[in-house]
Amino acid sequence: MSVMTPLFEGLWDHYILWSVIVSAIAFGWLYHHSFWFTSKDGEKIPNVDEIEIGVFPKHNDDMRLEVAWTILPFLLIIWLTYYSWEPLDAMWTSEDGGVHGYECEEGQVSNNVMDSDGIITSDCYHVIEITGQQWFWSFDCLELDGSLCGSSTETMEVYGSVPVLHLMKGETYLAVMESIDVTHAPWFQHLGTKEDVLPGQQTTLWLPISESMTEESMVLCAEYCGDAHSIMAAKLMAHN
Amino acid sequence: MSYDDPHHPSPWGPHDWKHGSPHNSWAPFILSMGVAIFLFTLAGAFKWGEFQGWGKVPLIFVGLGVVGFGLLIWWRQDISFGVNGEVFEPKAAGAPFQNIDIRKVAMWVFLMSEMMVFTSLFSTYMRYRFGIASCQTVFESGEWVEGAAVICFEPASHLIASSWFHIAPGAINTFALIISSFTIVQALRYAKMRDIDEDVRRRKITRYLGTTWFLAILFLTMKMIEWFLGFPLPEFLHEFNHGDSTINSLYTEGYLINADHYQHHEYDTHYLESNGHGLDHDSDLYAMMEAGTHPGGHMMANIQVSATTFYVTTGTHGAHVFGGIIGLSYMTLKAARGGYTPDNAVSIEYFGLYWHFVDLVWVLVFPFFYLY
Amino acid sequence: MVGKRSKGAIVALVVIAAMLALPSAQSFPTGISGVQQSGCNCHGAVPSDSVVASIDGLPESYNYSEAYELTISFQGGPSQEGNVNQGGFHLWASEGTLSVSDATAQLYNQNEAGHTGAGNDQLSWTVTWTAPATDKNVDFVLHVNSVNGNADGVGGGTSGDMWSKVAISVGGPVEVLEATDPFVVLGVLIIVSASLLAITLAYVFYRKDPDAFDWDNFAPWLAGWMTSTDHKKIGTLYFVAGLFFLGVGGIMAMIIRIQLSVPGNDFLTQEQYNQFFTLHGTTMIFLAAMPMINGFANWMVPLQLGAEDLALPRINAMSFWLQPFAALLIFTGIFSGHGADTGWTGYAPYVVSEGAHYGTTMWAAGQIMLVASSTLTGINFLTTMAVMRAPGMGWMQMPLFSWSILVANVMLFLSIPAFGVGLIQVYLDRVVGTAFYDIAAGGDPLLWSHLFWYFGHPEVYVVVVPSFGIISEVIATSSRRSIFGYRSMVYAMAGIGIVAFIVYGHHMFTSGMSPTLRFVTMLTTMLVAVPTGIKVFNWLMTMHGGSLVYRTHTLWALGFLVTFTLGGISGMFFPSIAMDTHLHESYFVVAHFHYVLVGGTVFGFFAGIYYWWPKATGKMLSEKLGVLHFLTAFVSYNALFWPMHRLGVWGMTRRHHTYFVTTEEALGSLPMEAAGWNMFITVSAFLFFFSNFILVFNIIVSSIRGEDAPDDPWGGWSFEWMTSSPPPAHTLYKLNDGSWGIPTLKDANEHIANEPGWLSSWFQRLLVTDEDTEEESH
Repeated sequence: MSVMTPLFEGLWDHYILWSVIVSAIAFGWLYHHSFWFTSKDGEKIPNVDEIEIGVFPKHNDDMRLEVAWTILPFLLIIWLTYYSWEPLDAMWTSEDGGVHGYECEEGQVSNNVMDSDGIITSDCYHVIEITGQQWFWSFDCLELDGSLCGSSTETMEVYGSVPVLHLMKGETYLAVMESIDVTHAPWFQHLGTKEDVLPGQQTTLWLPISESMTEESMVLCAEYCGDAHSIMAAKLMAHN
Repeated sequence: MSYDDPHHPSPWGPHDWKHGSPHNSWAPFILSMGVAIFLFTLAGAFKWGEFQGWGKVPLIFVGLGVVGFGLLIWWRQDISFGVNGEVFEPKAAGAPFQNIDIRKVAMWVFLMSEMMVFTSLFSTYMRYRFGIASCQTVFESGEWVEGAAVICFEPASHLIASSWFHIAPGAINTFALIISSFTIVQALRYAKMRDIDEDVRRRKITRYLGTTWFLAILFLTMKMIEWFLGFPLPEFLHEFNHGDSTINSLYTEGYLINADHYQHHEYDTHYLESNGHGLDHDSDLYAMMEAGTHPGGHMMANIQVSATTFYVTTGTHGAHVFGGIIGLSYMTLKAARGGYTPDNAVSIEYFGLYWHFVDLVWVLVFPFFYLY
Repeated sequence: MVGKRSKGAIVALVVIAAMLALPSAQSFPTGISGVQQSGCNCHGAVPSDSVVASIDGLPESYNYSEAYELTISFQGGPSQEGNVNQGGFHLWASEGTLSVSDATAQLYNQNEAGHTGAGNDQLSWTVTWTAPATDKNVDFVLHVNSVNGNADGVGGGTSGDMWSKVAISVGGPVEVLEATDPFVVLGVLIIVSASLLAITLAYVFYRKDPDAFDWDNFAPWLAGWMTSTDHKKIGTLYFVAGLFFLGVGGIMAMIIRIQLSVPGNDFLTQEQYNQFFTLHGTTMIFLAAMPMINGFANWMVPLQLGAEDLALPRINAMSFWLQPFAALLIFTGIFSGHGADTGWTGYAPYVVSEGAHYGTTMWAAGQIMLVASSTLTGINFLTTMAVMRAPGMGWMQMPLFSWSILVANVMLFLSIPAFGVGLIQVYLDRVVGTAFYDIAAGGDPLLWSHLFWYFGHPEVYVVVVPSFGIISEVIATSSRRSIFGYRSMVYAMAGIGIVAFIVYGHHMFTSGMSPTLRFVTMLTTMLVAVPTGIKVFNWLMTMHGGSLVYRTHTLWALGFLVTFTLGGISGMFFPSIAMDTHLHESYFVVAHFHYVLVGGTVFGFFAGIYYWWPKATGKMLSEKLGVLHFLTAFVSYNALFWPMHRLGVWGMTRRHHTYFVTTEEALGSLPMEAAGWNMFITVSAFLFFFSNFILVFNIIVSSIRGEDAPDDPWGGWSFEWMTSSPPPAHTLYKLNDGSWGIPTLKDANEHIANEPGWLSSWFQRLLVTDEDTEEESH
């Protein structure tokens, strides 16, 4: 059921942890103060800041505190940035000698492996082509033979006839994408990734199919493209 | 709140400025309505550049008429400002603008947003100018075949800066604007002069504002000549113009926003050969033609984006000049009625700020679009 | 008779000429375009009942893009001895694509097919129809002619021949129910709301003076509102417009929620849904939130600064009146069923494609006017705040609400021209045919994204920062403290204003923008957390050591702190790009920005309304109703938006008119629970929508029999509490000596705030002419 990739899940859990810590501090503080420092008429504490109409009130500040909650969030975001950094390399890895190596020779296989963070590395990658058009996807395996990549169509309830992209587990693919008319974006839901498909220029997207990949997953259009945007769907089948 | 309330004179104007600035006016409502009608009807008359018939055109003028009517109300309220000697010019209270007229600060703030408008237009231009290969480069690369249009960027300067005659309207315009910046300052100078006869002052201001107005009209006329009309050359100059008797307008040259099969003789190998100077021998095209892999011919280009950026950027500037003309018409009229006195010269100064800005933008537009 | 015959001859000649000219169309009739409406006048001018045409193979409702084989046949006709009936056909399908498979039929275009010369003597034909990929009602019109075979006889080819017509309609998989056209629903609701508004207006006028309730008095009263340049009246107009469109946007949201309440719902078609979400976004941001901000700013900024009015009152009126007319333009499309369907982001090149509804042009035109309006507003407020502060009020003594408006206007002012230029480009592309975003001519779709988000990101801060200002005022006043860390609050707000301009790339993490730019904006986006964090902690610290009084506005402010903090935290998930590639365009995004825009902006507005209502109207609002409003709205609001986070992670996509759930784990659609949660969200949405009517009711009750408000009901310090409630028609303040005038701000702190700093001195040297200084020295 879960559409989370291990990579996403790792990041998500970490962020949730920090979210809980930050909310616990903020809300604990809020609830304490909103019950503790209250009074019905506001006279529990005398007018400490000498508030008077037409008079700019006395400053109520504390440099140490203010600096503290400037620096602490700053440290936190530095940590979160550092934590989010590593997957970036994998996402935007170079087509020449990055974590996915160089393009596979004839007969070579990617043999990709996932590390404990969910980052996938491979020996080499295969190139496929994805074309977006109002309102369907077309997949082109280019020179890849049937043992590595295939495309077919299938009739699904409601979506009607959808294209199916067949990829192999353990193989890594680089999708070279272009649109014929307007901007689209394939959301490979179980790969947790998407990228706009632009008319007039090419974009690329890494599709590393790991061994733990679900067999069938949906590809939905995530960039609004007109009337039938919501049924511009496709299917990704990962084979052993 | 009724009309006969002395503190609230009619919202249609004229306004008695002794009671301070107007508390009511129909101008904002009517102006807004006019703008809406204009935008609505313009979109009815054209769709994707296709004219939808004359039936829709009168409505556009209804919209413009409503805008004009709104402006008239605004001016009717304003025209008495400063005429009777009373001056209502609020000054700034707080730092950093202490003792500066409020309207002057407002004008500077307005110019800030104008700067962003032209910045956005220029960034659009630069994106395309540097993002799309120029037609010259594409031509020389030989990556084209005769009969199929290639996308490339053809700067207007290629046509305009090709000869002194072509650039003449633009050059005249540059001087027209610079001189008009001078005349507007002269108008202000005379308006601020206390030790001259009132009548002399009135005539001087009117003349200098009128000259500014004339120069602005000249600017737009030259633009029309450059864009649409072209102009004939006296006979003794023909030999300097490849023997042609006229200077073609950009329109005649086919430099248009829908130019998807634009052709220029400099992108024609036959023309280049027959005219002696031939093709650049270092170019790929030359090598390809020598090797027989390229048949040569006349390159066809889709230059819609180039023409679009040129016309819209210079056109936006032209629209600012047109706005200036409208303002100047009112100010000249007011000056003729003796509306500007040393105590009430600031309006000319504020208009001058705007006018200098328009001039300054031209100083950027000219090299970018006409020379480069 | 002769005339008729010669007409027939001419027709025959034309047809023959056409046959010669178009050898490919040997049939008789040739493919007469438009024939589906009028029938044909060949083979006899009148249709005959004795010919029965039929189409077999059509489903009752089609599946998207499926191909159906249709058999066209007929029976009956003008039989003659020795001749069987035979003839031709012409089939027209309003949608989808027709194709032919054998030599007896031919295709004129994808909507029209007919017989060929070879097929001119058949009783049945076969064509294939491929259903459209979208949800549409498809009409089929079939004409057949049945001939008696006397073509070579004396009476010419056509005498005695008959034809007949049959029309069939086929629905899409999601049937369109004519009875509940949501546009009609929306139209009726808007008209009802507008009528209620008009009745309220009349009632307000009636209450003013029951004896003078006639048109002669009403017209000038109305004209007074339409022509006024008074900042208070314009502020009220902004509120009326803003609340009205908040309602309209809310109605659209409810219609959207009805559609999404169950999977595969058929309440809206895709095309309608696309228009609804586009208009919902545009309305809420530009026609509801922005006018309400301007309403607060118009009312309170001059009052807080101790000024008489804004710097340029007529320009102020102009800013307002551009908005209703812009709204008219934006909505023109939707009433004709061709409203903008581009999303509020209007991404190129779809926005300039002919596929986008025609209303998109008007959507752009209306927004151009809104840009003009915002620019004028910016000029006005920046000037006002720079020059019209009361004596004694330095920059660092401005109340925080005024500061927030200053920061918001600087952001807006410097960013909106880019949007304006983008819109003008779109308008020109769609109207006069320029090629800014024409891909075929080399246009760049990302250029629009850059221009839009350069504006769009500051814009969302423009919408939320004024709420920060309101909350700062409310929390400080309610706690009976001065705000904690006034200076760091100002710097934090200014910091948000600066950061706003360098983070917009995070909207384009998956747009094909260069990775370097994405990485840079990832870092800067993370930075947003710092100034907002400072603000939240400062608000919390303000309560420390105070004595919080629970009023309705206090509750809203505390509610704001909860929801805004949650929205801020969920925002931290996006700059982590590896997560963003999954979350982008999902319901997680929808949940996040509703948490900050409703839980932040709108809750702030509610706090502001309860806080300043007594000042603006002189009547107190009911606290009981206010608390009820807060409790119902706060609970239903969280129930509405909180589950959306989970739906987004599950893979529910934004801007999809429907969604599907499945038990099959492998398929990877939404799990079954998603349906339940969506229904829960819809129910909560309705509760939230209706809970806000408590505020409307409260306002009505208060205007009729509210208690009179004192000048300073809550104990604030800034100048707005120094004038009467409501303030006099020409704004002035009650001075200590009992007279009315412009006040001077005193300062309880010992520091010299009014000495101009180096920047101010530099500005002065730049801007003050010699003459001005001379005058001063005289």
